[in-house]
Amino acid sequence: MADRQRLGARLVLAPSEPIIFLGFSPRLPYPLTSTVAANFVVNFFGEGISMMQRVGSAGNTSNSLRPRKEKKLTYVLNGADDTKHCAGINCLSLLNSLRQDECDYLFTGSRDGTLKRWALAEDAAAWSATFESHVDWVNDAVLAGGNTLVSCSSDTTVKAWNFLSDGTCTRTFRQHSDYVTCLAAAEKNSNIVASGGLGGEVFIWDLEAALAPLSKSNDAAEDECSNSVNSLESSLPCNGLQPIKLSINSSQNATQSQGYVPIAAKGHKESVYALAANDQGTLLVSGGTEKVVRVWDPRTGCKTMKLKGHTDNIRALLLDSTGRFCLSGSSDSMIRLWDLGQQRCVHSYAVHTDSIWALASNPTFSHVYSGGRDLSLYLTDLSTRESVLLCTEEHPILQLGLHDDGVWVATSDSSVHRWPAEPHNPLKVFQKGGSFLAGNLSFSRARVSLEGSTPVPVYREPSLSIPGIPGIVQHEILNNKRHVLTKDTTGSVKLWEITRGVVIENYGEVSFEQKKEDLFEMVSIPSWYSVDSRLGSLSVHLETPQCFSAEMYSADLNIAGKPEEDKVNLAHETLKGLLACWLTKRKQRFGSQASPNGGILSGKDMSTRTISLSRVDVDGNAENDSTVHPPFEFSAASPPPVITEGSHGGPWRKKITELYGTEDEKDFPWWVLDCVLYNRLPPRENTKCSFYLHPCEGSTLQIIKQGKLSAPRILRIHKVVNYVIEKMVLDKPADSMNVDETFAPGMSGDQIPPLDGDTSLLPGLKPRQNLKPSIEILCNNQVLPPDMSLATVRAYVWKKPEDLVLNYRMLQGW
Amino acid sequence: MGAAGSKLEKALGDQFPEGERYFGLENFGNTCYCNSVLQALYFCVPFREQLLEYYSNNKSPADADENLLTCLADLFTQISSQKRKTGVIAPKRFVQRLRKQNEIFRSFMHQDAHEFLNYLLNELVDILEKEARASKSDQESSSPSEKISNGPNNMSANGPQKEPIVTWVHKNFQGILTNETRCLRCETVTARDETFLDLSLDIEQNSSITSCLKNFSSTETLNAEDKFFCDKCCSLQEAQKRMKIKKPPHILVIHLKRFKFIEQLGRYKKLSYRVVFPLELRLSNTVEDADTEYSLFAVVVHVGSGPNHGHYVSLVKSHNHWLFFDDENVEMIEESAVQTFFGAAQEYSSNTDHGYILFYERLVC
Repeated sequence: MADRQRLGARLVLAPSEPIIFLGFSPRLPYPLTSTVAANFVVNFFGEGISMMQRVGSAGNTSNSLRPRKEKKLTYVLNGADDTKHCAGINCLSLLNSLRQDECDYLFTGSRDGTLKRWALAEDAAAWSATFESHVDWVNDAVLAGGNTLVSCSSDTTVKAWNFLSDGTCTRTFRQHSDYVTCLAAAEKNSNIVASGGLGGEVFIWDLEAALAPLSKSNDAAEDECSNSVNSLESSLPCNGLQPIKLSINSSQNATQSQGYVPIAAKGHKESVYALAANDQGTLLVSGGTEKVVRVWDPRTGCKTMKLKGHTDNIRALLLDSTGRFCLSGSSDSMIRLWDLGQQRCVHSYAVHTDSIWALASNPTFSHVYSGGRDLSLYLTDLSTRESVLLCTEEHPILQLGLHDDGVWVATSDSSVHRWPAEPHNPLKVFQKGGSFLAGNLSFSRARVSLEGSTPVPVYREPSLSIPGIPGIVQHEILNNKRHVLTKDTTGSVKLWEITRGVVIENYGEVSFEQKKEDLFEMVSIPSWYSVDSRLGSLSVHLETPQCFSAEMYSADLNIAGKPEEDKVNLAHETLKGLLACWLTKRKQRFGSQASPNGGILSGKDMSTRTISLSRVDVDGNAENDSTVHPPFEFSAASPPPVITEGSHGGPWRKKITELYGTEDEKDFPWWVLDCVLYNRLPPRENTKCSFYLHPCEGSTLQIIKQGKLSAPRILRIHKVVNYVIEKMVLDKPADSMNVDETFAPGMSGDQIPPLDGDTSLLPGLKPRQNLKPSIEILCNNQVLPPDMSLATVRAYVWKKPEDLVLNYRMLQGW
Repeated sequence: MGAAGSKLEKALGDQFPEGERYFGLENFGNTCYCNSVLQALYFCVPFREQLLEYYSNNKSPADADENLLTCLADLFTQISSQKRKTGVIAPKRFVQRLRKQNEIFRSFMHQDAHEFLNYLLNELVDILEKEARASKSDQESSSPSEKISNGPNNMSANGPQKEPIVTWVHKNFQGILTNETRCLRCETVTARDETFLDLSLDIEQNSSITSCLKNFSSTETLNAEDKFFCDKCCSLQEAQKRMKIKKPPHILVIHLKRFKFIEQLGRYKKLSYRVVFPLELRLSNTVEDADTEYSLFAVVVHVGSGPNHGHYVSLVKSHNHWLFFDDENVEMIEESAVQTFFGAAQEYSSNTDHGYILFYERLVC
């Protein structure tokens, strides 16, 4: 109903959605050509144009006049349960239980943005928890004191978790301004954790101070805030009496208000890719694209020395427990052993044929395990320089973790393997034969392998595997803008329906390009979302107002009981579908009687919003409009997480089924709430297509006054046919098409089946329907199929930036 | 002029082969940019020989077919067929044609010699490519297997897979640069090739061509707001990018960027930096052929302190002797005199004669 009124108000001649005659309208509110639409799309994916002249949100009046980029909402389609990673594993950490009755744990951090905990048994590893809060790759993770797991991510945050919980993020630190690439912890001083990242940022954290409960010296509001720190992660007591201010990342506010600032190790000129600390936390080493190993005193952040020798990025570092020796692995394919006391390189080992990305040493620091880009895992005796190829993985090795008599290997694949390694008695491995002496010049090892004497791996099969799901490496949005074709690391090609978040077709291992061609459809629908696959799954990004540009007829979505012309806005229903759980919980929490703006949106905020959206009617209400269309339904078995950001606290990630219902404008972009709660969509500019309708050359048929017409982009050609017929049969001048006429179907709805819905069937037409003249519509001399949409005609037949010109003629033989 | 000519002739003695001609070029009002480049090209022996050969095979009787290529060939033929060993020639037709064809060179304003060289080489390439395509399609249409209808011909002319035509200009001057980007996360290297006819190098005070070339292929890091989208990582990552010479050209033309736009002044300024250019150059930062050796055979020199005025002369090496060409004047000089054109180590030096475009020929090992 709202839809109808809105159109009626804006476009005088319109019934629900007819072809609108614009010939006499000197000014259109917006240019409606699809060139605009096309530009729109391009800009949309480039950096931000912001079409909205939204008045700044309350309390932020300083930039209220400047258009700014609105926050986006992203949902991630993970076609799997929680127990598997779906992208490469960047890091792993092992926890040895202190008590007999507890098992050991393995923690893995993945490019899919999550960390997982695995309970280890002799010959099994069982999933036991997922830590989901990072919104980009998890790059590194370390275990610290007080049951704390610390992780860092390309989302620029460092997060602290209770590692024995079921996934509780206790704090988010936003000190870094670029990707955080690496962490280091001090084994015997479990309070000290260092984080390093791009741009040369290195911070040293005193976890006890950083994680301390917030001081009570803050004002009341902050106090309230501090009471509910991380309340989204922990379960909140439902308190209906008192409005609880919630902030997903109140931790940020907290750290800022509390004023804990980590020690910065300043002096890096370039990005840091590796860190290590000694057991006592008295020594920190860093490495990166500067190709030097820097040594720091973590207690002061002062640099004590700089070690030169590597010729490329330093990707892995180790310190022995005393802090005397340091091992470094570099993209120059060399491992170097440094004596920090003498401040020099005492050994260099040419073992690998490509970059070294991972190092691990046995407890006595007599042997080193190394892995990297050449897929190989070597064991090298640091004093005798004897080296042996332990195993080869199928993917580049990213991190190693020694545990019992094995080594866990993380690779760019989503599965993790454990190989036999004998860290407590490395000689056992050497006894199996196949060892060689490590060279000390880069390339010497490479030469050996080129000469054909490639070493034979000692072990062929891992002793244990934790399988993952193959990550998506290639994707293509199909023309219907609902289906996305993907290819994963195993070459398997699948078709996703992104409005339901499910795979609708699995083609197996076929050619992606061929399948893309096979699935080509000649339809044109505006690009209403963008996708990427950096998390190994499809991330679907929605941004306002572009995401609201695509519509479909409800009949085409198999929604029954709607008038033929009834349209569905894809983003609207998608958002409603994603936030269905949130809405339900929200109603329970606030009671269905509560006014939509009570407790959530302040009156001030409402008024500014109303002003900003004055073009659109504001009569919508969540209670009575939610039944207009059924929202799209997303899989309950593998609910997609949403990633978004409100006015406070930075981006967050949560499964749609795990939202609390209390998240408000601090957590969600305002436009998402407008859409879901109030059915208010921003003014849409490119849902219409304007065109001219002319008789074919030589045709004597001349029924309509020349002028520009406008209709929804999705309008089908048969509607245009009907329009022509009607004009012809009725033989009425175009300007008689008035409001009365347009509302005719509604008034006489009882008698006339709404076959032609919006083409303004008059009662008088009915008896003559069988005598309908046969009309065909052409564009560029090509006869158009009746079910083709105007947008499609524009994109595939007309192919010009100018307004579309359609021609009509009578079918021959009539 | 006659006296000067005979003086040169005397100086030349009999150390030069019979067929070699050393002619000055008349200046038509600020056409020294053109004269200096033409002399350098004339003494680029493989280029001259191929141009003369082309001319003898494609003599066009009609003036209607005149273009820069025929004008240049005409001029070179004129010089090489002179009876006398020295003298002066007026490159009238060539300059007329140049001015007719390109607005930039029409005025009597001071012109940039590098811009002219670049325009000329590209123009020659275009003409030769057009001719090669025309003769190709002629052959195709005359071949018996071809249908009478010219549909397929049109297709091949407009079709997307135009195979690149390698002309003799390409064979002399064209090299291939490769733009390598290495993702710092997965360390996958993506390479993109591009061709070049000359290299424009940024210069520094008290440097050498070797160091300028090193800077040219130095590594640039894509980071912070300017990260690289790595297809392997499916995400934005830091990356290192650098240019390498993949295929060194037969004739390496190096343009020193002596004219720099100074933002504070709002205009171009001439950099009189001292940049040493060796007589023998070793290219070491190439992809293939670990070392490529080049020998200097011509230098276009800019004389003057500013970018909008001044003079162009050229130094040319012919049969192991260096000659100095200043429009109509030609003199022999000592090889050691070449180093006086390196530039000034101090900013306000009286020395305003600076090497601007260097022509190196690859030594055949």
